[in-house]
Amino acid sequence: MNIAYIDGGTYYHHDTFHDPELNPYFAANIYAPELYQTDLSSFDALYIASRQDSDDLLFNQEKILHFLDAGKTVVVAGDNAAEQWVPGAQWTDEPVNFWWWLTPGEDSGLRLAAPEHALMRTMTLQDFTWHHHGFFTPPDGAVSIINTTSGGSVFYEDTVSTKGRLFVTSLDPCYHHGSHFMPAASRLLRGFLPWLHRQ
Amino acid sequence: MQSILYLRGVGHETPAFFDLPEAGNIKAKLPRELEPSDFDDYKAILIPSHINQRALIPFAPFMERFLNRGGVLVFNGHLVYPVIPGLSSFVPAQGGRLEDLIVERVNNHPIFEGVNVDDLSFRRGVAGFYGRGSNPPPSGALILHRLKKDGSVIDWVWHRPEGGVIFMHTGNPMWMFVNDDTSAARIAPRLLVWVNTLLGNSMDDIKRLMPARPLCDGKCAQKRMCC
Repeated sequence: MNIAYIDGGTYYHHDTFHDPELNPYFAANIYAPELYQTDLSSFDALYIASRQDSDDLLFNQEKILHFLDAGKTVVVAGDNAAEQWVPGAQWTDEPVNFWWWLTPGEDSGLRLAAPEHALMRTMTLQDFTWHHHGFFTPPDGAVSIINTTSGGSVFYEDTVSTKGRLFVTSLDPCYHHGSHFMPAASRLLRGFLPWLHRQ
Repeated sequence: MQSILYLRGVGHETPAFFDLPEAGNIKAKLPRELEPSDFDDYKAILIPSHINQRALIPFAPFMERFLNRGGVLVFNGHLVYPVIPGLSSFVPAQGGRLEDLIVERVNNHPIFEGVNVDDLSFRRGVAGFYGRGSNPPPSGALILHRLKKDGSVIDWVWHRPEGGVIFMHTGNPMWMFVNDDTSAARIAPRLLVWVNTLLGNSMDDIKRLMPARPLCDGKCAQKRMCC
């Protein structure tokens, strides 16, 4: 699968894209403010890295929906205001507990919801577990892969809201990996990107 | 009175330190709103780590002119694009374990007066928030903090021979600690006092600009992007 990496211009987008271990999974780097003028016909998937300027994504909503309508795949990582432009995405903000792991007996608040999903043949719940910034309520027919104990999802696959395949997550692996800070975020990328590339 | 320009990060966030009485003369803009004339109109620019650096590349010649005219630039984050003429790109620290991320003070500076270096090394006992590598200092820069283990220089200040001052912090923004209950909370107001002193501004005049309002309680909607 030819994956285009949508890059918001920050240092963490840069460092993630240029990581020699991850770079081979990307066919191209598209700078988000230039997305509107980029021909996407040669790509099978867009990987929209976490924590971008959501104005750039909102501006390209129609183009991204057109891409999905061609039966293609879009991955929307966290903190991209997905609820404003991704079909079916419903967001609930929650206070972030950055420190749960420092408290004996405290829980990450995450659960594996779809152990049968093909992605989970090579990944574990721990690869999705650092902290989370709230949750999505997936639309009917979508499959949550990682749930929160509060009843939402932090990672789901949606093949019902468009003619394509959407992966929506509230997790922000590119931010943490590109900041050289959070081994689980690096594991998520090292597990998910090769899997997506093989599709 | 000279104003300070703050360039907003990708989340458009308004950071908590804007509520400080010392922040009364800050104006904020997104990189896409920048004009070349801003580099003439402002004498000080603050850049947070979540900035779209690629958007600043076309402004590099104006940044150089701004510095040569005596401008004050405070940059936070990992420098990975040619945004500031003459500077080298970020180099990650050699290790990511706790013992690799202990910060040591090399030289004192007014911004860190009364700030315990242990409060930079650890936040709730966790190391690595302050810095995990180096935007290498140019020759002639004064080194302020570095990682004890591998010597990665995190903070430096450089009074350029061509004019202007660059204060470099290689990490999350220095003002992210403003609501912490440690001595690191002193960094943000001291940074603003330092910048305004260089600009020749009176802190009394600046404080009079601020409406009476409580400091950020840490519960704002942008909390996760405040820093």
